[in-house]
Amino acid sequence: MEQGYPELRIEDLNVVYDTEYGCVRAVNGIDFSIRKGRTLGLVGETGAGKTTTALALMRLIPDPPGRVTSGSIELLGTDIMSYSEREMDAIRGKVVSMIFQDPMTSLNPVFTVGAQIAEAIRIHKNLDAKAAMDEAISIMERVGIPGERAKEYPHQFSGGMKQRVVIAIALACTPQVLIADEPTTALDVTIQAQVLMMFSELSKASNTATIMITHDLGVVAEVCDEVAIMYAGEIVEYGSLEDIFDHYRHPYTEGLFASLPNLNDRNARLVPIKGLMPDPTALPSGCHFHPRCKYATKLCAERAPVKTVIEQEHYVRCLGYEEDAGVALEGFGNK
Amino acid sequence: MSEKLIEVKNLKKYFGTSKSRLHAVDGLSFSIEKGKILGVVGESGCGKSTTGRVLLRLHEPTSGEILFHGEDVLAFRGRRLKNFRAHAQIIFQDPYASLNPRKTVSEIIAEPLRLHKAFRTKAERHAKALELMELVGLAERLINTYPHELDGGRRQRIGIARALALDPEFIVCDEPVSALDVSIQAQILNLLQDLQDSLGLTYMFITHDLSVVNYFSNDILVMYLGKMVEMAPAVDLFANPTHPYTKALLSAIPIPSLHGRAERILIRGEVVSPINPPPGCRFLPRCDYAMPICAEQEPPVKEISCGHTVACHL
Repeated sequence: MEQGYPELRIEDLNVVYDTEYGCVRAVNGIDFSIRKGRTLGLVGETGAGKTTTALALMRLIPDPPGRVTSGSIELLGTDIMSYSEREMDAIRGKVVSMIFQDPMTSLNPVFTVGAQIAEAIRIHKNLDAKAAMDEAISIMERVGIPGERAKEYPHQFSGGMKQRVVIAIALACTPQVLIADEPTTALDVTIQAQVLMMFSELSKASNTATIMITHDLGVVAEVCDEVAIMYAGEIVEYGSLEDIFDHYRHPYTEGLFASLPNLNDRNARLVPIKGLMPDPTALPSGCHFHPRCKYATKLCAERAPVKTVIEQEHYVRCLGYEEDAGVALEGFGNK
Repeated sequence: MSEKLIEVKNLKKYFGTSKSRLHAVDGLSFSIEKGKILGVVGESGCGKSTTGRVLLRLHEPTSGEILFHGEDVLAFRGRRLKNFRAHAQIIFQDPYASLNPRKTVSEIIAEPLRLHKAFRTKAERHAKALELMELVGLAERLINTYPHELDGGRRQRIGIARALALDPEFIVCDEPVSALDVSIQAQILNLLQDLQDSLGLTYMFITHDLSVVNYFSNDILVMYLGKMVEMAPAVDLFANPTHPYTKALLSAIPIPSLHGRAERILIRGEVVSPINPPPGCRFLPRCDYAMPICAEQEPPVKEISCGHTVACHL
């Protein structure tokens, strides 16, 4: 395993949105880091703060209403929180780039796909139009689109092909850090399989540090090295792929796995997590997950859990693992 | 063998465009026994939703036969058709678009009762709406809220309560959980299963998610571009998929586990357009086993074991 220095390190990131219903605490004290050539999966349900985290890393949080209230983002060892818009422009698309969820809306309908891929190259590599287009065509071929389709418009492409175009734009300047926000959610399974395969081959080949945002644990198992499980704007469990899939410790992670239909045992009844995601303007006190947790005690409503390290990089945020809390997770892991 | 509730023979639905015809459903035959669940799987554009809608005559088929309790559904007119729709209902995919934003929860649920004049007074309808809400697990206090105040899971429960209002025998579930988060998805799937058990319902369960159909269905119908490619009891289909498309589809599911994953069969290319399809097998351009005959003749439907049929030249 390669142990390079982290390409990206974020510490204690907090993001809030001021809305007329009150202050939405979307991201609450997140930290993680990613090394070269590794893929981190950010997993969680709607409203967990996954996309907000990604936008914060790109410094793309719409302000107002959004504000990054604290935290540091270190990209290749430099803090980018203090960067000006102009400095950010210079690194967006070049050092760090992003793949958006919906390929139908993230392309400009009035430009050819070739021109859209060439745009990033022209800006960051200072090439003339002709040279940029040549490079765009070679990138298109790398992501599996025939080069002669560069003159076509997005509406002439299918969903899977459009997503390849979006990936081509993101990879055009071989960024060191790539953020993929649900890149295959809008695609059919057979196309998803093609895109995921291509995606991991490319990021391994160029040694990119990747953040894969997804709600699909199947996708995580396929492409990620590390996994962060998010709930209500916090990372509730973090660990290697093996830690999370085979030795998960957090009740929410357990709940996520129990909610999934098991392909090998069709008679096992699903065990849903009770209740709903909390209202982000009024997060529950103590542990944010306690109203839905089947192990919750009175203390869980009062005391906020801190990080407890299980082993090396594997940590959880749950009072059940804090020795002085006296919270027992009785029957944990029994399905 | 128990009674066939729904039987479909050689069903076709073409949509006309200015220059051509889109073959959305092209010669589909199947039947669903009473109290059973048929899962219909396929990718976008394979005609699964159109099939569901044609069954309920929300679209008129181009040709073919639909029998409900042995009666010809396509011959139903007026009162008879209305009566049929009371017995056959649908739950839509998108709980955000399928509820009228200007009506309260109780109005939405009571709407079918009102249209079908199931009760004489508003008070009776209201009481029935409350009963349905309890059945699907909606708190009574939500009765006067509007859909926009509720989350996706609760909205889908409203859609389910509305579908159940007239005590139907048959429900088409058109991707009822695909717009929901996994933890909520499990709640709704359990609810649908409990309702099926307690009310003896028959479902046609349309989905693109194979792990959901496997969990849910007695039989599975796999569609590709308007045609059946394979149909089998769920256990059989997963244990012994026969059609190259079914094999690829099953192997494409990302499995949320690190163990026991099989070698992936990637299929090349994408679904071709269903407008004026060429003769021969529709899967041909993506198939690794294609032979000359596949381009010339439509594959015959063969029964390879009891209840397991496949349409392939192999």
